[in-house]
Amino acid sequence: MLGQYAAYIVPAYAVSAAVIAGLTAWTLLQYRRRLREIATLEEKGVRRRAATRKGDG
Amino acid sequence: MAELTAKAGSIWDFANPARFMGIANAVLPGLAAVTVACLAIGLWMAFNAPEDYQQGSSVLIMFIHVPSAWLSMMAYTVMALAALGTLVWRHPLADVSLRAAAPIGAAFTFLALITGSLWGKPMWGTWWVWDARLTSVLVLFIIYLGIIALARAIEEPSVAARALAIVTLVGYVNIPIIKFSVDWWNTLHQPASVSRLGRPAMDAAFLYPLMVMALAYTLIFLTLHLMNMRNEILRRRLRSMRMLAAREAGGA
Repeated sequence: MLGQYAAYIVPAYAVSAAVIAGLTAWTLLQYRRRLREIATLEEKGVRRRAATRKGDG
Repeated sequence: MAELTAKAGSIWDFANPARFMGIANAVLPGLAAVTVACLAIGLWMAFNAPEDYQQGSSVLIMFIHVPSAWLSMMAYTVMALAALGTLVWRHPLADVSLRAAAPIGAAFTFLALITGSLWGKPMWGTWWVWDARLTSVLVLFIIYLGIIALARAIEEPSVAARALAIVTLVGYVNIPIIKFSVDWWNTLHQPASVSRLGRPAMDAAFLYPLMVMALAYTLIFLTLHLMNMRNEILRRRLRSMRMLAAREAGGA
């Protein structure tokens, strides 16, 4: 199926899969880490300001 | 809060980050499932497409190279629109959107360069040439890296938002240069074969898998962008909590 160009097709697909999967994993890990850090701060009694102001996350 | 909810029925509906988070959390699982399904169909169609009479099996690289290249420009267009959102409408989520799109755009640009190079070696006989199309895409990649570096360099959020918006809009001049480089200059890279006046210069056997793969890549971008916007909102929330904690510790 890949023929004589397999040596170019396989790396092209492998790099694409690695970059997209890596980006997805990095994004998910960051999400979990930030949720955990927020939970830790809340446990310490730090309350976030209510989102009353524009631009305030 | 009341002033925000009063403006119902517009983009300001999403101005409240907490509300945006609720919508993103509800939409993401379904969007991710559709993305995976579309990618699976696209890959199946790509690997069942016939060999090209000139390119042979290397046409398989086109099914991931072309969508990467399109998305590298689409991500930057989303960022330029977000930059307008920051500068003109001062929408609170505009800067969030710009920052969230930058690493994804950089990744797609990187993939466009790498997969293009892997196609170029067997077809053109070279990994790289300094022609107008390739060079302008490399410049786009460097602009992405510059924007990511700038986003990390400026601590004050409002200053960072304005600086990022201005730099992004200035950099947008490169997008039409990339698009029309193959028409304006004599490049080794071929001119457009899908988005051109009249019929695409491509057989349906290649066009359909390419279109499905392009849709899959667009969905990947949308999913990752929403996920990254969610992360950026959490980063801001964390920052304000830490500042509050530091202030309380200092005042105690």
